[in-house]
Amino acid sequence: MAEPILRLENVSKAFGGLKAVNQVSFDVSEGEIVGLIGPNGAGKTTVFNLISGYDPPTEGSISFNGCEISGRKPYELAAVGIGRTFQIVKPFAGLSVLDNVTVASYLRYPAQRDARRKAREVLEFIGMGDRADMPAAGLTLAGRKRLEIGKALALEPKLILLDEVVAGLNPTEADQTVQLILSIRKSGVTTLIVEHIMRVIMGISHRVVVLNYGSLIAQGAPEEVARNPQVIEAYLGESK
Amino acid sequence: MPDTVWKKCVVVAGLAVFLLSFPLLVRDAFLLRLFTEALMWIGLAITWDLIAGYIGYLNFGHGVFFGFGAYTTTILFTKANLPFALSLAIGGGVAALAALIIGWPVLRLRGAYFAIATWAFGRAIMQLALVLDVTGGPDGMRLPPFLNPHFFAYVMLALVGATYIVLWVLLERAPFGLKLKAIREDESGSLAIGLNPAKLKLQALVLSAAPAGLIGGVYAYWITFIDPSSVFGDLVTDQAVVMAVFGGLGTLIGPAIGAVFFLTFKTYFWAYLSDFQVLYLIILGVAIAACVVFLPDGIWGAVTRRQEGRRALRKGLSLNQRAAAPPAHPSAAGTSVRPSVRPRDGEEE
Repeated sequence: MAEPILRLENVSKAFGGLKAVNQVSFDVSEGEIVGLIGPNGAGKTTVFNLISGYDPPTEGSISFNGCEISGRKPYELAAVGIGRTFQIVKPFAGLSVLDNVTVASYLRYPAQRDARRKAREVLEFIGMGDRADMPAAGLTLAGRKRLEIGKALALEPKLILLDEVVAGLNPTEADQTVQLILSIRKSGVTTLIVEHIMRVIMGISHRVVVLNYGSLIAQGAPEEVARNPQVIEAYLGESK
Repeated sequence: MPDTVWKKCVVVAGLAVFLLSFPLLVRDAFLLRLFTEALMWIGLAITWDLIAGYIGYLNFGHGVFFGFGAYTTTILFTKANLPFALSLAIGGGVAALAALIIGWPVLRLRGAYFAIATWAFGRAIMQLALVLDVTGGPDGMRLPPFLNPHFFAYVMLALVGATYIVLWVLLERAPFGLKLKAIREDESGSLAIGLNPAKLKLQALVLSAAPAGLIGGVYAYWITFIDPSSVFGDLVTDQAVVMAVFGGLGTLIGPAIGAVFFLTFKTYFWAYLSDFQVLYLIILGVAIAACVVFLPDGIWGAVTRRQEGRRALRKGLSLNQRAAAPPAHPSAAGTSVRPSVRPRDGEEE
């Protein structure tokens, strides 16, 4: 296995007295798709916020490509190569689809013309080339989630964090998004994905990391994790 | 569509010819004064709109920059005997510096908090001008009269024209404008795509303050008398606000149209109904409220069906409650205590 691109070591995050994330350690290797799962309130989105710089960890260390990144700002991390989407999508609703992606493209392509070209490329890649001039507010939920992925891809990230990009989509849309995630991985971007839909996460992840009440309870290949009694207990309750 | 490009070129060229030849053709001092004042208000309205319409921050202390420019220019020109051009340039610089100093703390606030803080800053600085010796206190300051209305018409035209062109290039052509709009649309989301909102907002505020300061300096020399209420008073900001909101936020042409419309209205109102000047202030207040309620996109927004005006107002008045609902992160354990997305320089409300 390659050198880990992302490494979390004993990372904790406390909100007041509540430990949302507790002593979590895991690695993500280059080129992998790693699924981050857990019941509601397990701390998955908090882990994303820690990795992407939206929240500084209370303790522990997060390193990306061997460099310590905990406590750095989201825009610095975007420049380093971490792209993310939001569970609650954050499109720039008043701007067109093309402008949404263009403004993200400025990070790598500061000139207007280059940024536009990059944005059109990304829109073609995510299959939204025909909706470039639509206002983002007019998109369906599936469209908005896809646009989120497009904005993150325009940053040309080495690692992309996808927060529930499939949840809430109908089966056809979900399949399209799964195909998109697979093609992102094929283009060499490492992916860390939070998802509730087990069919999706078990189908595409190389490895799965399971959180429960902020603690890591299991990690490994999807089929191993699915048989892990602790994981079953976390999802279904104790068996008598 | 080369046809529309061609049309635009004709319109722009026609406008330029009109603006350049107007002061030469007009002999009437009243009309020339109206022309110069219209340009001045266009400048103030578009620089206010840079912060309000493009980023969604309602700056109720914009007049501070105008006043800083006016007072700095006057003090250097009359007391230090510097040449006018140099005094003016320093005046613009002082306004920019003031934006840097005021903006650093105040731009961390959002919505109505930002509006209140900037308004309070404006008030504080007006009081300062009232008590200091160097500003002449409530008596104000006089400048040596330079009675050449054509000179001032062209200086104002050059200044406001240059401001308009620079802002147009930066906001409508260069990446800067789109970055600011991204902040307006979703400030916390803009962090994730590599934007540093704190820095961009400060740059925009400085960019908005410097021309306002220069306009203040030219105004002082043109009118030959300034006092705290005429250059630091609420009316400077409030009129720019009405003009920009009425014309259409988030565009440059909208506030310019609003400025011409309102100034014409004000001038004729004062000329023919001078006994009812108080009524003007009431009309101004009602106009702001009516625009916000009935014409949130302004006339330009209504004509072009651009909805940037209402988006700017919604953010500026903290009406965008989407991100305010805290327990919206079902998978983040911390949400019942605090929202889990909390960037350092503030969340979307």
